[in-house]
This record gives sequence, C-alpha cells and structure tokens, in this order.
Amino acid sequence: MKTRILTFTLSIFLCVAARAELKWEQSTIDLHPSVSDKTAVAHFKYQNTGTTPVHFKSVKASCGCTTTQTQKEMVNPGEKGEIVATFTIGDRTGQQIKTVTVQTDDPNPAQATSILTLKATIPQSLDIKPAFVYWQSGEELKPKKISIKATKDFPAKNITVKSNSQNFESKVEPGSASGEWTIEVTPKDTSHPFGTALLVQTDYPKEAPKSFYVNLQVTNPPGAPPALKPNAPNAPAVKAATPPAIPKASPSAGVER
Amino acid sequence: MLACLPAIGEGIYFRDKISWQSSIPASELVTVDRARAWGDGAIWVDARPDEEFARDHVPGAFSLNEDHWNELLPQFLPNWSPEKKVVVYCSAESCNAARDVAKRLRDEAQLKNVFVLQGGWEEWLKKSR
Repeated sequence: MKTRILTFTLSIFLCVAARAELKWEQSTIDLHPSVSDKTAVAHFKYQNTGTTPVHFKSVKASCGCTTTQTQKEMVNPGEKGEIVATFTIGDRTGQQIKTVTVQTDDPNPAQATSILTLKATIPQSLDIKPAFVYWQSGEELKPKKISIKATKDFPAKNITVKSNSQNFESKVEPGSASGEWTIEVTPKDTSHPFGTALLVQTDYPKEAPKSFYVNLQVTNPPGAPPALKPNAPNAPAVKAATPPAIPKASPSAGVER
Repeated sequence: MLACLPAIGEGIYFRDKISWQSSIPASELVTVDRARAWGDGAIWVDARPDEEFARDHVPGAFSLNEDHWNELLPQFLPNWSPEKKVVVYCSAESCNAARDVAKRLRDEAQLKNVFVLQGGWEEWLKKSR
C-alpha cells in the first residue's frame, strides 16, 4: 500500500516537475516598413523555460503572403531560438494583421498552441479617390473628378498623368493645399465599352519615384455578356483576354495604388 | 460576480492567443447557394494567391489578390458592370484575403454590391460534390 502511495505521489510530482514550456518574448510584433520595402520581417523569440524538450509539430501562417522559418525542430530546456515570419507586402496598403499558429507537443493544451501576431503598418503613399471611374455605355460625356492627396509619409510635390488611350481627355489641377491635386477625366465616346488606366507618376522618392494607376472604364450595357469568356474549371490562370491599355512606368519607378 | 471570475481569468490568460480576425457584417456575406442563384448576375473574384487560383477555382472566376492588385484590378474591371454583384472568396472561413479584397473594391474602386462568400472555396467545393 505504501509503495502504491509513493508511486502515485511520485508520478504526480514528475508530472508537475517534468514540464515543457515555451515562453515567447513577444507574441505580437509591430512593424513599420518604409515606402520602398518589399517585405516586413518579424522575429518571434522564445525560450524553453520548462524541464523537458519541446518539439514543434506545425507552424502555419494565416495567409499565403507570409512565410515562416523555424531554426530547429526541437528546443531543449533552457534553450533559446526564434521563429522568423516574413510578410511579403505586395500591393497591400494600410494596417495588415497576419498570424502564425505554432503547435508544439506540450501536453498542456493551453501551452501547446501559440498564436503569434505580426502587425505591419504599410505607409499609404497617395490617397486616390476613387481609383476607378466609369461611365455606362451611352452615358453623357460628362467629366468626372479624381482627388489625389499625398500622405505625410509620402511628401510628393508634383505629379504627371499619362494615358495610352486617345479615348479619354484628362487634366490635372493643383488642389488647395500642397500635395493635393484633382484629375478631371472626360471620355470622348461612350457608345461602346472600353477601358484604360491613367498612370500617375510622382516625384517621390527621388531615387525611384513611385507611380500609381487610376482605372477608367466605359462599361457594358446592362445584361450584356462579359468581356471575357469564363474560365473553365481547372483552367490555367487566365486573368484577362482584353486587358485595358496600361501605360508603362519608367523602369526605375515603383508602381503602387 | 463570482461566476465572472473564470471568464476574466481566461481573458487575461489568453489575451495574446486570440485571433485578430474581425468578423464580417452579415449583410456583406453571401452563402454559396444564394450566390449561385444569382447566376450571370454575379461575378466571382478569387482572392487567393496566384498558385492556388491556377490549381483550381470557381468556373468563371477572376483572379484578384493583393499580391498583384495593381496588375489584376485593370484586368477584372472590364468584366464588371454596375448591375452585377461581386462575390469574393478565399480558401476557407478562416482566411482574411476575401474580406480585404472586398474592402478595397468598396473603398478604392467604390464598387457596390460586393459580398464575401461564406466558407470560401472550401464551402464551394463541398456544395459542388
């Protein structure tokens, strides 16, 4: 009987003593990439403060835009390390919140799963409203206005506007404050659907000025078939058969919306 | 008061472990059945990464993700018209890409009638079996 009590007490003691515990230095990291950065990288540092090794079972990012790297599969007691999460900015703007879910073999379910959060604030360069203007087929040839404002992170002083299409007229007027402009666009014809994009070129940053697009469209009349044939299931990534003419930015320039 | 204590304790303990995904208002969500019933009145937008779209997608869907937003948006817009409803989807209920793309279509392109597909591609596949 004494042996049983001793074994029971010992097993309880061992269960309590032999624990794995991954402690994160920070489970949320704020990143502030610059206008020209392509990626934002978060280093989630950890330490095994337990007495037994911890094994990573899985490390999964919440979106395809984030990749993760673990330095090791197993973390010994007392050992430190980090999980590196690399977020590809792409054409994203504003605050982006991405998570990384880490599963370990910790027997305590509350400790086995950790959710790491990467908050990236991507500086907005130009505030373009709206970034798409359209006229319906047959609509009156009235001008439409697009307002452009440079944000505090993007001190552009001048813009130029280019279009490959002869079907629209555009003119740029400076706004009431520095870094503000209005583009007025008028279609020359709305009798048939067509589209183009205006290329808005800025003078910032000096070494690689950024460019932006504003989309213009004369839409199909209601009930008309789509401009493109729908893709068949399993079809390759056919994105458009008749994309609108887009003026090219200069090779050194970055392009953004 | 006593009954609240475990909940408060859990809230503090799990403060760093909760997901940041904000919910989408019900009025901006659409079920697979309802979106399908719209027929030609709907235009489907795949917000997943290029590789996933290339692997498979809703028939007739257009690829529009934030990795290549500037390139893909001008290719999608010629197929849009004001009377159409836009149905945006990503991989599953848990992904955020559809919500983000739908928001940009509303805010930047100022499109109306933009919906997020409930359950995403996963749910569409389930209903198509």
